[in-house]
Amino acid sequence: MPRPWLFLPLCAALLAAPPPACAAGAVLVMNSNEATLSVIDLAGRRELRRIPVLREPHHWALTPDGRDLLVADTGANELLLLDPSSFALRRRVPVADPYQLGFSPDGKLLVVNGLARAQVDVYEAGSYRLLKRFPLRSMPSHLAYTPDSDTVFVSLQGTGRLAAIDLRRMELRWTTEVGTTPAGVLWLNGRVLVANMGSDDVAVVNPADGGVERRIHTGKGAHQLFLSPDGRLLYVNNRLDANSVTVLDAATLAPVRSYRLPGGPDDIAFAPDGRLWFTLRFVNKVAVLDPASGQYDIIDVGRSPHGIFLNPLAVVPASVASR
Amino acid sequence: MTAPFDFAAGWLQEHALLPLLYALGMMQWEDIAFGWALFAVYGAAQVAVTTALCVPLERWRPVERWPDARAVTVDILYTFISRVGVLPLVTFVLFYQAQVMLNGFLADHGWVPPTLERLFPGLLGRPVLTFCLYVVILDFSDYWRHRLSHRFGWWYSLHALHHAQRQMTFWSDDRNHLLDEVLSFAWFMAVALAIGIPPMQFPLLVLLLRLLESLSHANARLSFGWLGERLLVSPRFHRAHHGTTAAGRRSVNYGAILPWWDILFRTAGFSRDFVSTGDLSAEEVLATGGYAAQQWAGLRRMLRRRGASLGDA
Repeated sequence: MPRPWLFLPLCAALLAAPPPACAAGAVLVMNSNEATLSVIDLAGRRELRRIPVLREPHHWALTPDGRDLLVADTGANELLLLDPSSFALRRRVPVADPYQLGFSPDGKLLVVNGLARAQVDVYEAGSYRLLKRFPLRSMPSHLAYTPDSDTVFVSLQGTGRLAAIDLRRMELRWTTEVGTTPAGVLWLNGRVLVANMGSDDVAVVNPADGGVERRIHTGKGAHQLFLSPDGRLLYVNNRLDANSVTVLDAATLAPVRSYRLPGGPDDIAFAPDGRLWFTLRFVNKVAVLDPASGQYDIIDVGRSPHGIFLNPLAVVPASVASR
Repeated sequence: MTAPFDFAAGWLQEHALLPLLYALGMMQWEDIAFGWALFAVYGAAQVAVTTALCVPLERWRPVERWPDARAVTVDILYTFISRVGVLPLVTFVLFYQAQVMLNGFLADHGWVPPTLERLFPGLLGRPVLTFCLYVVILDFSDYWRHRLSHRFGWWYSLHALHHAQRQMTFWSDDRNHLLDEVLSFAWFMAVALAIGIPPMQFPLLVLLLRLLESLSHANARLSFGWLGERLLVSPRFHRAHHGTTAAGRRSVNYGAILPWWDILFRTAGFSRDFVSTGDLSAEEVLATGGYAAQQWAGLRRMLRRRGASLGDA
């Protein structure tokens, strides 16, 4: 006579057992509309767990020494300092309205854009002491530095302008019109590139005076710009276009090819195997694209995934207790 | 379980809202638009689920039968405006923006507005429990808002619109004056500044709570039994609040979800009767008028009341 209740202790033991094997390499996804971070096994391409945060995580930055991964929880007014290998929380730093953020190349400063509060804050790296606030109208969105860390360029989504902030003198150098709803900003070959989400182009801007030298047409709703790790290709994600990822030659800015990737492609992380990991904002998924074939796999994550951080060396237990 | 709703919101954003914003040159609002899309889709789901549950209930065990139920039609409009349409968009934009500005201002001055998780670190990593605690606290706060809206004459002049309905059905939950809605949001914001607001990662729980609120207005002979009525607000319990003799300053059963506060502060009434609803002192237009006429009448009534109060002073 079968006695299934005998298996109950075994089931209980399995449930209480330590977490299964660790992932070799992991990806962290910021689910902006769900107040969670998804941890994905890089090799197995499956979501391992979700880490609850307070409100609205959007973007991330790695400290110059690689020790801490900063995740900006916008609605909670705080930066989460995580271990980039295990994603365990180390510290919380109160910061007003942190949306997009980035360390200067010399590692001395951290610039934080407050999109909703129309402000750009410059912090001392390490101590996170506020050095200077620049109220900028309006909706400061993305940012890029000059390689010498002298200047940071910030797109002002609400007013169609790009701002240049002199970080030595701590003063606004100029703001200039660059297009409709500028979003992604990138420093490339001595020029500032700005993706104009309200149109279909990337503006090539002279960093000295902010003059637009030319426009590269990519697709409707040009949103974000990412340079490939080898520096040869530039990926532009377009919000509205059917062929929603445009690839440009980084040297000439000539279009090379495009990929069809519906669902609102937003941020990209580059994997060591050459594949590209995209967050798809409107379908709650991450796409893993093989750039050679254009084929992609899909992984379910939380609501409205935005920032994505990939660490091939991460060793993440499948269920680390979150704090 | 939320996948179909999220898919619908994503589709709405990608194929309707973004092209519209792009055409209008308003792409800077794409994030807000997506927030609204989620609100609207879950709002539509709320309406659909509530209708599917409450219509059969109201037909099965109606408290009252009306030969002409035209007065209910305007309540349907209120529901769609409130749960799917313009109101969520406006409140989402205004509330979000105001909260960001205030929280950021306070953070700059060294005071980070707390959240329950910060006040009680043991809650971190327990989002469902956190959400439930927020529901209890917000319901407690709403009890006092509701009670004060009856206490102050000028405020009740606005709130009377909600009480004027003599043909109360599950659609009546959202029939409110716009200014009354604004005051509710201001109240909610003040509480949010003190304890934060719950992360919106539990839309199905929100849907359940809204369903309960709608159900409490249903024209149905339904109670949850002796114990159940002391745990959750039932249609019979809330009907007593809408009774003709309970309109105005001295009402009972102010709770929206939990009757605990009424029990605690001695405003609970557990009568077994299913009373007639309405506010006999309210102008007829507040009961049977159209949307715009009711809004205007409510405003006029409040201004008259304010004027009379100032005159008395």
